[in-house]
Amino acid sequence: MKRKFEHPAPSERELTGPRYWRSLDELSATEGFKAEVAREFPEGSSSMEGVDRRQFFKLMAASFALGGVGLAAGCRRPEEHILAYGKSVETTIPGLPLYFASAMPLRKGSIPILAETHQGRPTKIEGNPSYTPFGGATNAIVQASVLDLYDPDRATTSTIKGVAVTTADIQDLLAGIGKAAAATDGEGLAFLAGQSSSPTRAALVAKLKKKFPKAVWAEYEPAQDEPPVAAAEAAFGKSVKPLYQFAKAKRILSVDADFFHSESGSIQFARDFTKGRRVTKPTDPMNRLYAVESTFTLVGSMADHRLRLASSHMLAFVAALAARIIGGGAYAALSQGLEVDAKWLDACAADLVAHKGESLVVVGSHQPAAVHEIAYRINAALGAIGSTVDFVVIPSDVAADIGALAKAIEAGSVKTLVVLGGNPAYNLPGNFDFAALAKRVPEVVRYGYAIDETSQLAGAHIIAAHYLESWGDARTADGTIVPVQPMILPLFDGLTELEVLSRIIGDLPTDPHTLVYDTITALAGGDAQKSFNQFLHDGLLTGSAYEKVEVSPSSSISTSASSAPVKLSKDNLEVRFTFDAKVDDGRFANNGWLQECPDPITKISWDNAILVSPRLGKELGISPKGWAVQVSRIETAEFEQGKEMAYVGEITVNGRTIKAPLHIQPGLANYTISLPLGYGRTQAGHVGNGVGQNHYPLRTSENPGFVTGAKITVTTERYALANTQEHWSMEGRDIVREANYEGPNSYQENPGFVTTLGLEPETPSVYSNLTTEEFAKLPPEKRAIITAERSTQADRGGSLSKAPTFDGVHQWGMSIDLNTCIGCNACVVACQAENNIPVVGKQQVLAGREMHWIRLDRYYSDGKLSGETFGGDINKEIPEDPQVSLQPVGCQHCELAPCEVVCPVNATVHDEEGLNTMAYNRCIGTRYCANNCPYKVRRFNFFDWNKRRTDEVYLGPLGHSGMPELVKMVKNPDVTVRMRGVMEKCTYCVQRIQQAKIKQKVKAGASSDVTVPDGSVKTACQQVCPVESIVFGNVKDPLSAVSQAKSREQDYALLGYLNIRPRTTYLGKLRNPNPAMPDYADLPLSRVEYNSKNHSAHGHEGGKKEPGAALLSNAKLFGGLS
Amino acid sequence: MSKLFPKSINKLPLQILVYLFVVGGLATAGITYYATPSYANVGYAPVQPVPFSHALHAGQLGLDCRYCHSNVEKSGHSNIPTAQTCMNCHNQIKVDSPLLAPVRASYESGDPVPWIKIHQAPDYVYFNHSVHIARGVSCVSCHGKVNEMDVVHQDKSLTMSFCLDCHRAPEKALRDPKLVTNLDWKDPEGEKHQIEQGQKFVHDWNVKPPQSCSGCHR
Repeated sequence: MKRKFEHPAPSERELTGPRYWRSLDELSATEGFKAEVAREFPEGSSSMEGVDRRQFFKLMAASFALGGVGLAAGCRRPEEHILAYGKSVETTIPGLPLYFASAMPLRKGSIPILAETHQGRPTKIEGNPSYTPFGGATNAIVQASVLDLYDPDRATTSTIKGVAVTTADIQDLLAGIGKAAAATDGEGLAFLAGQSSSPTRAALVAKLKKKFPKAVWAEYEPAQDEPPVAAAEAAFGKSVKPLYQFAKAKRILSVDADFFHSESGSIQFARDFTKGRRVTKPTDPMNRLYAVESTFTLVGSMADHRLRLASSHMLAFVAALAARIIGGGAYAALSQGLEVDAKWLDACAADLVAHKGESLVVVGSHQPAAVHEIAYRINAALGAIGSTVDFVVIPSDVAADIGALAKAIEAGSVKTLVVLGGNPAYNLPGNFDFAALAKRVPEVVRYGYAIDETSQLAGAHIIAAHYLESWGDARTADGTIVPVQPMILPLFDGLTELEVLSRIIGDLPTDPHTLVYDTITALAGGDAQKSFNQFLHDGLLTGSAYEKVEVSPSSSISTSASSAPVKLSKDNLEVRFTFDAKVDDGRFANNGWLQECPDPITKISWDNAILVSPRLGKELGISPKGWAVQVSRIETAEFEQGKEMAYVGEITVNGRTIKAPLHIQPGLANYTISLPLGYGRTQAGHVGNGVGQNHYPLRTSENPGFVTGAKITVTTERYALANTQEHWSMEGRDIVREANYEGPNSYQENPGFVTTLGLEPETPSVYSNLTTEEFAKLPPEKRAIITAERSTQADRGGSLSKAPTFDGVHQWGMSIDLNTCIGCNACVVACQAENNIPVVGKQQVLAGREMHWIRLDRYYSDGKLSGETFGGDINKEIPEDPQVSLQPVGCQHCELAPCEVVCPVNATVHDEEGLNTMAYNRCIGTRYCANNCPYKVRRFNFFDWNKRRTDEVYLGPLGHSGMPELVKMVKNPDVTVRMRGVMEKCTYCVQRIQQAKIKQKVKAGASSDVTVPDGSVKTACQQVCPVESIVFGNVKDPLSAVSQAKSREQDYALLGYLNIRPRTTYLGKLRNPNPAMPDYADLPLSRVEYNSKNHSAHGHEGGKKEPGAALLSNAKLFGGLS
Repeated sequence: MSKLFPKSINKLPLQILVYLFVVGGLATAGITYYATPSYANVGYAPVQPVPFSHALHAGQLGLDCRYCHSNVEKSGHSNIPTAQTCMNCHNQIKVDSPLLAPVRASYESGDPVPWIKIHQAPDYVYFNHSVHIARGVSCVSCHGKVNEMDVVHQDKSLTMSFCLDCHRAPEKALRDPKLVTNLDWKDPEGEKHQIEQGQKFVHDWNVKPPQSCSGCHR
């Protein structure tokens, strides 16, 4: 007899209780949102725009007729050639990639990389594991940088006065500049460059200054990713910078610092921070993070205690903290006017002091020097210096600032301006007008990668080589010198910055390789060639890091008590400028991978919105209309067909006005609005033009981090934001499982807390005959053995479904540690780079057709939702202080995969090693599999993304077809490029698995040793992850790292009760709040919500309700009955 | 009523049947012959820019396959030799042969000789030479007796079923990896012994050729 497995019906408490929510509209359950979640794919994603059925069949009939004509010629295969090299190339084996150590230069902190090249064509960047502080990790920007190399919009020829010229002409031009300058000692010559950490460039600049003493060398960088040196000089009297040692810190206070993203050493900081957070057994220590911030950052989302405070109030805040930790009237005076709960400050200060030598205060680099100076003094008082923070000597800054250069130009003393990199015409603060400045200079020479805003104003444009085409050198954030090696000859004869400089200076080798060789061999000493080769091989110069010095603070602070912080209100707003997590300062604006990647917090792709706090949103009258009037059921959907229809607002500050869409972001300081920079480019290229708004004109050079005195007015316009947060809702069940580290109901009390949540206890057991809870109580070794055995058995858990036989040598599985995941998106972009995932464009993201194989779900929970979800008054407020839970979700590779049973053509089937495979060439595109996937991780190629431009997908045969040759070069040759009409999804990087298996089999030859050693297969997401959240490997081997991770008590399966046995499992998240804090909650807020939903007082007291009551209330809740 | 239908109409069903049978048969035969790889590709022997004879080099002179296809043990691709490899010998032998002019030109200029691809797997198939060579599958299994071909042609169909036949019964093809490039080698003790030996290899070397999609399609 056929037995039917019924999904457990939702209990009444579940239906009436609070839930996780991911967007304001989900919280308020507007009509639009409900319509949205009721669909498998978002509205519009499965309909053809502008084509009805009749028209479609007409077209199809015509194309069949045409197809018939072409058939005769089409059935013989085309002749293909094999083009072997004329001369053999050393070390190159066709079909095998080569890896070279290099580095991606970025301001003062470059990132060491290994570049994967296929026959001289770089396709993928990995971190260089030889550089231990980063441990082989990178970030999203580094991953995407390879796409810039093949950007069809990059400049392909140098020009003088708009006319294409040869490299020889450019060399003459540069030599001419040098000659003219030599005659006048450099009078009239000025340079405007971006920051660089290159020792060779520093040496060239020194030579330049010596030869042309009157020339101006200015540097401008819109982003500050290192603390101002002035602070260290004021505190210690030395030019030093802090290097935080988060791994040693037990208590951390972040003052407006987004140290996971916007500091030069962010990758190291994130890695070290999570080292103190990786709790594998109850006796392991766990660090505690306090975050005080104005905007919502990833640091804030990881914080155990988070305080919303305007950026302009941070000085008063650190002063108040210093008054508690150091003491003294000066600090107390500085902290006047601070409106922060004194208990919060007292408890935080007490906790920091209690962990002397193990605590750390970090301030965001955009904050003024005074805040840093006080923080340094606090750190000194906490005994942090030398323990959790080191100070290193940095080379002195010889560059003039942009203000000095502007003055010189205005005085008319600049005759020739050489703009080296950067993009001043786009990103200068509002108090400079670069266009006007450029007009006053007779000759503007621009060296840049693309014809951008600045190039438009220059007489000559010199094309720059990409860093993957260049010889150079750079320093990491800690000062270690790393090489920049070319992977490929410049595709368009671009020059390097070093060559441009050396040609202007003259009498120097112009070949950048020679220049770098000379610098490095002089530093390294010993046998020159040998040490240089070693440098290139290792990808770093051992022992070249900045020197650590002892520092001690001077007796008195340099900042005197100024006026109290500005009181903020709706009419006097603070504007905080942030650097976008994706396009940085705008330099990566033409990179489709980065543009399409959703922002880690707002989940908006292809745009930057003005972020406003819920309170301000309410005062401006732009809060979603439905949420406040749920009871009377009058609703206006803010989300129309999955599109966030944002109100457009106008910000006025310092007399300048910018118009941009408004997005309500929970967790912002009440009267701070957050403006991500880097968008609104006008000359970026096909991808970046007109995406978002340019907020640079609102900045001033005095305080580039934030300004006050802004006003905002809401217009009647609406604007669609491609917000991915509305998609793929999991409808509020217990998805991310959390516990406190210590205290009641904590991890220490019950390490297997994940088993007390969710529905698994009510479903058939999957661990031999043990229930989930019993299983969690076994010792870890035993659990690992059972898990390993279980991975090869077919029918487990009493399921009647016929399971595939898993008789492979390995059984692949993944474990994702939610406790360390910081949600940085690096995995999303790494996956895109590795697996040839296409970019679909804003219009298609709006239609819900984004193609990312792994996504990061971001849930908010505020713990305030009562049992009567939408009834109580409290539920009418948009939470201002939510906790964030992050969860990366890719294909879970279910052992009993629901997608497989519905495929009519067996295009998705299991292999013998437990992979849920996709055979693209079999897929006919019914999309049944996506319908049946409970995780919504399957992605469908609605168009030929690889052949059609994203703005022309609807033109059909009238649009351009085919991929530009340049873009073809970035594709990974080991992965199929998918066409229209096929489904795709995470494959666990099957190409890497197969390569590892083949390598092992070749090694084995005529022997039986074919088991791949643990750790030799790394998926792309795992390899890039800076915090090592993702572990992948053979679950059949109980000793493998993945089995060890899975055997931890916090291990749980997402939607485990479905008994589909996903091979990807998660490790529960821990929070470590301080009981002395006023905002202490003895359970994570998501657990509070979970409990009030499932064990609400309402449910217990009311006793048993009539059967069907739950259904009735459910129907009412979701609008079925009125 | 008989006036309406002449008597000959009685044969019509039979005629229709015969007609369908013949036309159907012809169509099937036509498609099989003209459009399936087993017939369309087997025997494909394009004219190469240089009339290189494997029969002479590999057969008569006895060069090992791996002298020219030097990376077959390391890489998924079995490389076509560079012009430099040819010139190793041909800078002394047949130095002025007009037939070798493209090779000399390639060596001088670095531009490749446009060899025409014969054995062609679809783009979505990721075949790997190195693993087959290492685990004792001879070149001859897929390429035939190239050492006897003056002009190389495709000898086997190289369809998915051709691959799977072997992956399902590897014992028929396995031999000592030292013998993989000996294209004339056949188990001297006959077919039965080959199978017995093969089964032993399958067991001893833990041979589990992939039979699911992920083995070849990525």
